[in-house]
Formats: sequence, structure tokens, C-alpha cells
Amino acid sequence: MSGRGARSLGSTAFPIPFTHTRQTQPAPQRQDRSNVLQIRNLTKIYEDGTVALHDISFEVKDGEFLVIIGLSGSGKSTLLRCINRLIEPTSGQVIWDDVDITAANQGELRRIRRQIGMIFQHFNLVKRLPVLTNVLTGRLGYVSTWRSILGRWPREDRERAFRNLELVGIAEKAYNRADELSGGQQQRVGIARALMQEPRLLLADEPVASLDPATSHSVMKYIEQLNREMGVTVLCSLHFLSLARTYATRIIALKAGEIVFDGDPLDIDDRRFKEIYGEEAVEVEIR
Amino acid sequence: MARENSAEKNSPSIRNPSLAALLSLLVPGLGQILSGRRERGVSILLTTVVLLALVAWLKFWDLAPLILPFWLYNAWDARQLVLGRRVNTTLLVLLAALLTYSVGWRVTEIDVTQFVEGAPKIRPFVSGLLRPNYLTREIEYGEAKSPVEVPCSDNPPPLSPGPELPRITLDRPCANPGEPLEVFGEGFPPNIKGELWWENTIGDQSRLRVGREFVDFQTDDQGRFQAQIVVPQVTNENPQTHYVEARYVTHVGPLTVSETTYLVVQRMGETIAQALMATTLGALLAVFFSFPAARNLMAFHPVAILLYYVTRGMLNILRAIEPLIMAIVFVVWVGLGPFAGVLALTVHSIAALGKLYSEAIESIEPGPIEAITATGANRIQVIWFAVLPQVWPPFIAFTVYRWDINVRMSTIIGFVGGGGIGFLLQQWIRLTDFRSAGAAIWAIALVVTVLDFLSREVRRRVV
Repeated sequence: MSGRGARSLGSTAFPIPFTHTRQTQPAPQRQDRSNVLQIRNLTKIYEDGTVALHDISFEVKDGEFLVIIGLSGSGKSTLLRCINRLIEPTSGQVIWDDVDITAANQGELRRIRRQIGMIFQHFNLVKRLPVLTNVLTGRLGYVSTWRSILGRWPREDRERAFRNLELVGIAEKAYNRADELSGGQQQRVGIARALMQEPRLLLADEPVASLDPATSHSVMKYIEQLNREMGVTVLCSLHFLSLARTYATRIIALKAGEIVFDGDPLDIDDRRFKEIYGEEAVEVEIR
Repeated sequence: MARENSAEKNSPSIRNPSLAALLSLLVPGLGQILSGRRERGVSILLTTVVLLALVAWLKFWDLAPLILPFWLYNAWDARQLVLGRRVNTTLLVLLAALLTYSVGWRVTEIDVTQFVEGAPKIRPFVSGLLRPNYLTREIEYGEAKSPVEVPCSDNPPPLSPGPELPRITLDRPCANPGEPLEVFGEGFPPNIKGELWWENTIGDQSRLRVGREFVDFQTDDQGRFQAQIVVPQVTNENPQTHYVEARYVTHVGPLTVSETTYLVVQRMGETIAQALMATTLGALLAVFFSFPAARNLMAFHPVAILLYYVTRGMLNILRAIEPLIMAIVFVVWVGLGPFAGVLALTVHSIAALGKLYSEAIESIEPGPIEAITATGANRIQVIWFAVLPQVWPPFIAFTVYRWDINVRMSTIIGFVGGGGIGFLLQQWIRLTDFRSAGAAIWAIALVVTVLDFLSREVRRRVV
């Protein structure tokens, strides 16, 4: 589950990361253009001393479907949130498209965030707002403050919202309140919201952990569709190895904040499985 | 658990149950202390000292023997402890409570006799409450008089009752002071009560008495009455013409809405308006204060945390002061009237709502905030789309509920001059106009009930 994430969002801090005062860092600079996303020596130590990520480095190529697996508390959620700085990393760099996200100022960070879609285990819809408004919030990074607050969304955004709702098959629910929808439908709204951002990168934090197996596959298929047909790079944390094997082009396994496996899904054999999940674990199939 | 622990800690120095009992009989708790149960012994000793000190301070010497059951049971307790038997601590507490409640009973002057015997005294109040004067009829005054010569002369003027009604007739045309005199009345409204008055030669009027009682009359179905008066003393010894006068008051015409009703409606409106203004002003300011009083919003910086504690502390102090006390202060500040009440209720509403609002903010789900932030939204957009939709339903529910409370409170605040219906109610009670007071009380009950229902409905719908 989102153990790390939940910790960071708990009682201590209001999770609007741009309240953090960051030390001045050099402006984003061009890096070598070999990869889309580079994670360099990323470390996150929480205030209570928990080391959530320890010196993590990897690269994600354009168009990959990277699945991150690991036990609860292994650092999956923290890793995903460090990429768009919902959680401020303690040290290390996240470089995307030659821009150092970790060095971006607030304005730059918002412009970076609006290109990175994110979906969540608990969907994180605004429950009392209609589905359509929830989807439209995906455009907040592109629309001016007053237009969004007055609800004067540009027409093309409204059209896009309906198109995206159709894409995930729930256009008829556009005017329902978000909390009237089932879990699977809510997650599809979450995907539609992320799609509004026209993302080049999608972060999916345990997107199916709150769903039943059948719904899980339908949601994973939508994510796969984005990856295959629209070329969106996907970083997705998952609980079940069987799901990861089905959808991933590559798997990274985290254990206690460190990478214990990075490679082809087929290379995870019984021995590796026990390394990742512990000796007592038994693999469960999700079909 | 606790017993074994304390037994281990304090090694017992006496093992003889009788000795322990004797020691506790001399000094309550001593046996327990010396047998290794220090905490229990000290509690017993302190209880005894406090109770006896209380009795001595208040000079309630006659209550002192009530400590004996506790004292004796404490000795028994010490003995049982040394023997390692279970003892009933509850009984020990109850025995200590015996004296405590006896003292409390006397200090608060509880008097059952007075409670029972005094009950009839509130009859006028209850009857006023049962007959609120929302409707009334016009009042008509009527009178009839008849001359009488006092003292009697040799040749008194003859009795000459006029033709017009109502009229009164006396049994003789003259009388001497102190003599009884029969008065007959006819043509009066049926079944009414009236008063008999004496008018002397220079027009001074006084109500007639027989002994110490006023002379009243009661008409029958035909509007007739008969009464006996005693001729009062007169100053002049020469025969002169005085008058006997019968006066009455009747309600005539159709029932109309009374002056009381107009006043009640007007002041009730004032009360509701007061509550409305106070709730609105209070809510606006409470929203302003609730954000710094929400821990989750203020955790990001030490200065902000300091601000959080200051705001919280301020709200707590304000909430501790009853609006009634604030009203007294504001009456001095801005003078008698509804404005003082509005100010008092506003200040209290800020404190009460500020706390509730900030708790609503503290309990919002972080998920939507995270999600909206991740879309690249700015801070205002995050608050608008992720925070406000989560907090406005509880905000509205708390505010409506507060309005309901403020209406109730504002009736009380009128008692200290803060305007509204309480001001009237208090005056009517002092003037012993209990029917009007009853009218006000029923109006308050009605409005409070209706508002309570409405606020419950609104809360049910928004949450």
C-alpha cells in the first residue's frame, strides 16, 4: 500500500509541497539528452528519521511501461512522489527531458507538473464535485486562476473532458457527483483527469490496489492503452507481481528504499521473488 | 496489579491484623501505610483530614459523626489487608461520600419542605403561562351612583332612582356614619365583578371597605346585585349629600390581537435579527481565524506553529467567557439595546465557530489536495478545488447550528439589557404581568423549536 505516502501526508504537514522553503539552487540546466527521465542518487529521509529511499538511481526511456514493485513501506509511493515533488527529496536529482525538476522554482515546478499525469490508489477525486469538474481540474495548470475559479473553462477543454470521459467509457456520468461512482469508475475518472494534462509521463501509485481483480485489469488496460497508443511513459507501482508481469515492459523492485531488481519481467524467478518479498511470501495470481 | 506492585515497593513493617486495625482506628490510614499499602493509606488519611477540616471550617459540628462509618470501615479495611483478603474499595468511597454529600446538602441549602410548600406561590405564573394574552377585547368602563345624606337630617331628600340603566338604589335615603347600608344594583352587564366607591361632598373618592376587606359586587344573570356597605366617617356634622358609586370594567367587542402580541412579534424579530447578525459576523471572522487555528495548515514553519498556538489560545479563552458576561460588558460599552447583544453573541460565535471550523479543516482528506497539486495547480486553485469543497458542508452545518444556539442565547441576553425578547420578558416578570410573560415564553419556545427543526434539516442535507 502507500505506506510511505500516507506517512508523509499524515498529521504533520499539509501536503502542498510548494509551502516548503527550498534553498536556492542553480537554475534548470540542459543535461545530456540520452534518456527521458533520470533519477540520480535520490534519497528521502523523513523527519522522524525513517529512510524511505536510499541513494536510488535509474533511467527511464521514452515509452517504457515501468512497474515498481515491493512490499508496503519499501518506498514505492515516496519514489513516485519525489518525481513531481509532492514530496521533497532530501538529496539527489530528478532530471526529466534535460530539466532538473529538483532544482525548479515554484513556477517552473507547476509547469513541469502539468505535463506529468498522476493517478492514485484512493483515486483522490474531490468527492463533492461533479465528475466533469474533477476531470477539468486536470487543466488547472493551463487555465488562469480566475477562469478556473469562476468555472469559465475554455470550450476546447470542456470538449476534451467529454472526449476523455468517453475514452474511459463513463461519459454518461459526467454530471454525477464523484462519490456516487464505483471504485473502478472513480479510477477511470482519475485517468481522464490525468489525460486532460496531455501528459508525456504518467505516475500511477498503486492504481488498482483498492479495486477487485476484474476491475483491476480493466483499469490497467486503460493505462496500457495510453502507453501503447499515445506513447505516454508510465511509472506504475503495483502490489502484485502477476499484474506487473502482464503489463510491464520493465520492472524495478524496491526493498527498504533500495533497488533490489531492475530488469525484464520474465527474469523474476522464484529466488528473486523471495529476495523482493521475503522468504515466507507466496506468489498470488491475479487473473 | 497495582496492589501487588505497591506491596512489593513498600515492604510491610506490621503483619498483625489487629494491630493494623488499631492503628487505623487511632489515625485513619496509618494501619494501611504501615502494612505496606502506602498509597491507599495516604488517600484515606487525606480524605479524613479534608472532610474534618471542611466540617470544622463550616462549623457543621452536628455532621461530624457521619465520618464514623468511614472511620470504622477504614480500620476493618486495614485488618483485611493484612490478612490478605479482598476489600471493597467502592464501599470505602461511598462511606466517604456520605459526609461529603451531607455537607453539600447543607451548603446548598436544599430544603424539600420549602420546595413542596412553596409550589402554590407560582400559581399566578403558571396560570399566566397557560393563558397567554395574544388576543384581547376592548375594555369598557361603567358606573352608576346614588346620593345619600350623611348624617341623617330630620327631613332627608326622597329616594329618586333615575330611569337610566345601570343604576343603584339604596335601602334608605340617609344614614349615619358606621351604619350598614344596603345597595341594590340593576341593569349592569350580567355576571361581572365590580367595585363600590364612596364620593364625599368635595368629590374625593375612596373604595369602600367592610372591616379590612374591600366591598366588591358580583352581578347575576339579569345584571342585578345586592351588597352591604358601611357608611364611612365624615368630618362635617351637618347633613350633606355624599354618593355611593358602583364601578365595573367589561370586555366588549370581538377578540383582537393584543398589544402584547405586537410587542412579542416585534421583539422576537429583533432577537432573530440579532442572532442572524451575530452568526454572520461571527462566522466571517471565524473563517478568518480558523485557518491559522488549523494545525495541518500551520505545520510548515515554526512561526506559523506559534501563530497556531496563539490563535487557538485566544479562541479557547474567548469561548470560556459566557455570552451573558460579555453582554454585561458590551451594555456598558455601547449602551442598552440589541447592539450590545449582537456584539456579545458575535464574540462568542467567533470563538465557538473558529474552533469547529479549524477542526473541520484539520479533518479534510489530503488525497484530493495531493491530486490537484499534481496537476500543476497553484495554491489558490488547490484551496478552491480541493480544500473548500471538503470544508464548506461542515462549515454550513456548524453555522446554521450556531444561529439556532444564538437565538436561544439572545433571549437570555435580553435579561441583562442586550435587547430582544428577553428584555421584554424580564420586564413583564418584574411587573408580574404573567400573561404577557407567558405570551413571550410560548413565542420563544415556538421559534426555538422551528429553528431547531430547520437547522437539523439543513445540516442533514449538506453533510
